[in-house]
Amino acid sequence: MKFINLLKKELLELLNKQMILGLAVTLVILMLVGNIMKTTIDEAVNTTYTINLLDNDNTETTAELIDRIEKSGAKIKFMNDNTGEEVKGDAYSKILGDNGVENFVIIPKGFTEAYENGEKPQINSISRMKSASTMSNISNTNSSAIAIIEACITEMLAEKNGITGEQLEFINAPIQVNENTVVDNNSAPVSSDSVMNKLMMQSMILPIVVFVLIMMTSQMLISAIANEKIDKTLETLLSAPVSRTAVIGAKMLSAAIVALINAVVYMLGFSKFVTGATDSISSEMENSAVTSILSVEDAMSQLGLSLGIGDYVLIGLQLFLTIMICLSISLILGAMVNDTKSSQSVIMPILMFAMVPYIISMITDVNALPMVFRIIVYAIPFTHTFSAMSNLMFGNTTLFFGGLIYQTVVFALCMFFALRLFKSDKIFTISLNFGQKSKYKKGSKKNSSAGE
Amino acid sequence: MEKILEVKALSKQYSKVLAANKVSFDIDEGEIFALIGPNGAGKTTTIRMISTLITPTDGDAIVAGHSVVKAPAKVRECITYLPDEAGAYKTMTGMAYLKFMAGLFTSNTVVMKRYVDRAVEICGLGDRLKDKIGSYSRGMIRKLLLARAVMTCPKLAILDEPTSGLDVLNAIEIRKMIKKLAAEEKMSFLLSSHNMLEIEFVSDRVGIISKGQLMVTGGIKELKERYSAANLEEVFERVVLDNEVH
Repeated sequence: MKFINLLKKELLELLNKQMILGLAVTLVILMLVGNIMKTTIDEAVNTTYTINLLDNDNTETTAELIDRIEKSGAKIKFMNDNTGEEVKGDAYSKILGDNGVENFVIIPKGFTEAYENGEKPQINSISRMKSASTMSNISNTNSSAIAIIEACITEMLAEKNGITGEQLEFINAPIQVNENTVVDNNSAPVSSDSVMNKLMMQSMILPIVVFVLIMMTSQMLISAIANEKIDKTLETLLSAPVSRTAVIGAKMLSAAIVALINAVVYMLGFSKFVTGATDSISSEMENSAVTSILSVEDAMSQLGLSLGIGDYVLIGLQLFLTIMICLSISLILGAMVNDTKSSQSVIMPILMFAMVPYIISMITDVNALPMVFRIIVYAIPFTHTFSAMSNLMFGNTTLFFGGLIYQTVVFALCMFFALRLFKSDKIFTISLNFGQKSKYKKGSKKNSSAGE
Repeated sequence: MEKILEVKALSKQYSKVLAANKVSFDIDEGEIFALIGPNGAGKTTTIRMISTLITPTDGDAIVAGHSVVKAPAKVRECITYLPDEAGAYKTMTGMAYLKFMAGLFTSNTVVMKRYVDRAVEICGLGDRLKDKIGSYSRGMIRKLLLARAVMTCPKLAILDEPTSGLDVLNAIEIRKMIKKLAAEEKMSFLLSSHNMLEIEFVSDRVGIISKGQLMVTGGIKELKERYSAANLEEVFERVVLDNEVH
């Protein structure tokens, strides 16, 4: 009953209006962005591609080229150019502005002549760059336009040299690749790119959720203990007829419950976001994998890369251990805080320990690192959770269960020290002084026999 | 008369600092005892040891028959502690805070309601108890905390600077309340304060602590006579200065 009373108080403190509102806003934003991305990609896929073109050569050959481009399904928007002269560098910006476009292609004078003489004809591509952001510039490039023009010129050249359409198709794709992917002893007739793409989408959410969980639980518990110490409510609480273990237990459990709620919300939000962003791309990729006999899902199952309920339980167990380690370390760090300033900076060790495996898991596989680095990274207990899914999928069970045992040992050690700290006088005397001497040490210089 | 608190040669050593050195005193049932001393004299350390927050390195304190060393959990059932400059949970309402604290002392809802009703009456905050503590003034928080400290009718209430942050009228009210609870309900109090006027008015006996040692204990009148002093402030000055010379 007393424990429930404590737990209720901790939960009410953590689950305040600001947090609930923050979670709701995060969820809505992630879902909204996911939907926007899906709509944008769908529109981009379904909309006819438009080539912004300026024909300075203006010959029968260029007219034929334009005709072929239009027949290929692409639209052409002709650029207005009032100068009537050969367009040079200085005029590019004006033409872009006058026509309200961000890119265009110029067929320069001499194009037909070079084409007729069997030389490589030139095409000028102009794109405006508006910022350093990759995403904001991605639609400003001419790469698709150039590819379409190239294909049309290849067709024209082929016809000119008496090559039929079938022959040209054969030249363009002279071999048929039957792709097979092998994982462990299993193989499946599927492209490894398709599998990798699917895996990337699946494993994108877990590291983000793990990272968010680590940061949230740590910050919540550190703040909860720090506030109790700063406001001196901890002294009142610990002098009441309730055990210190119950006080710690209620704080840890409430932080874990709130972290779990956060995890569910973030997982839901991110899955909507990722699904929105990748669904269209994914279906496009699957359609283009012409030589695949199996669907990617079936192939992954055949390769042993599909996770079962048991695997998800194991991942959940490792996630739980990570949270418990976080909570026990946060107990120790929170106890060291004596002011609001240090309560914000004291999370740094946890942040660093979470950042390293998080970044590595986003860039590469920990198992692909050189041995020394691998040992260092695996010494960080959180790493095992970041690589849990990959280890289970690729049958690295020794590494997975080794990680589980290692995390249990780390948790037991951290909890042992946290409990010792809380059950001793140090909970009131320990502090992060950052170079300042403690009040007891200060006092000892002036007075060898007095306390507070 | 029954002894509620017996402090027996209580000592606390912090690495090189001896914060409390063989402190001994006792408090009878219904008695108000004040521990006074300069800053850093060892008052809070002694109080924290009696409140079971920190463990003595030597000696013991017996609260209502229970040792702070051997049975701290039993001791906590008999005491309440109000730290100096203590706060309360800002996101809670005053009423929720009282209910939460009452819930730590009993699981019986009837008893809990009795504790809360008593605290509501004592603190005198009325409808403001429905507001969040974050909106309270320092004086209001102190009144709420004092009500919390006495609502369970503990055998020993330990109050560190009970009237700090209160205006004169509120401070007088609190002092009267302490005296009334001791006289009518036989509640014992261990106070710590820098306000000699307050100590003189409210306490039955005082103990003057300096450099971790309890220099002298006795009734106000007795001490004034012993040191030929006009008031407690003069007694305090002589005891502390004497100790510093020696």
